[in-house]
Amino acid sequence: MNLHNCLKEIRLQNNLTQESLADTVGVTRQTIIAVEKGKFVPSAKLALELASALDTPFEKIFWLEDSRGG
Amino acid sequence: MTGMTPYYISRTIISVAFGALFAVTGSPWWAAILIGGLTFALFLWAPRSGRYSVHPEFGITALRRDERTQEINDKAARNAFVVSMLTLSGISVYFGTLALIDVPIAVFKLVLVIGALTYFVSDLLLRRSQR
Repeated sequence: MNLHNCLKEIRLQNNLTQESLADTVGVTRQTIIAVEKGKFVPSAKLALELASALDTPFEKIFWLEDSRGG
Repeated sequence: MTGMTPYYISRTIISVAFGALFAVTGSPWWAAILIGGLTFALFLWAPRSGRYSVHPEFGITALRRDERTQEINDKAARNAFVVSMLTLSGISVYFGTLALIDVPIAVFKLVLVIGALTYFVSDLLLRRSQR
């Protein structure tokens, strides 16, 4: 099971830049880029902070998907 | 980058002190200025490097690692430690069983260099793999 996200789409819907979102949750812009590309799995704390900053339910941003495609 | 004055003032003091340390320990004046300048340049670059999240409210400790950069740092440090210990073990076995002499001090310096190189290469590769 892999963690997927649509952070980029929701961030753009909220008219936020990667930098402003990073500042809001207290991480580097590179971390936001890595999360959006699925190259870094955020901690539960950071994922919840991102959901809160985007005023979107956690499960609408992050979801689990079977890596075998099932 | 507003509110970063305490950070920049403290880093200026550190850079001058670092340069002065080289000057009073026998380095040429131009080398001391160069080292102080390079140190200050590193401090100027750090907030823009993407390696740290910037929190001006913390004053002189305004640069903090976030969870991703902390994870990269931990992995790089672990890799450096493992490589250093394996190298040290190999050297001990070699000098203890084959060369049958005490391990020269220069070889220990080599272990430190290998450890440091492993840290920086790991750090670089981990950052690139997460972009």
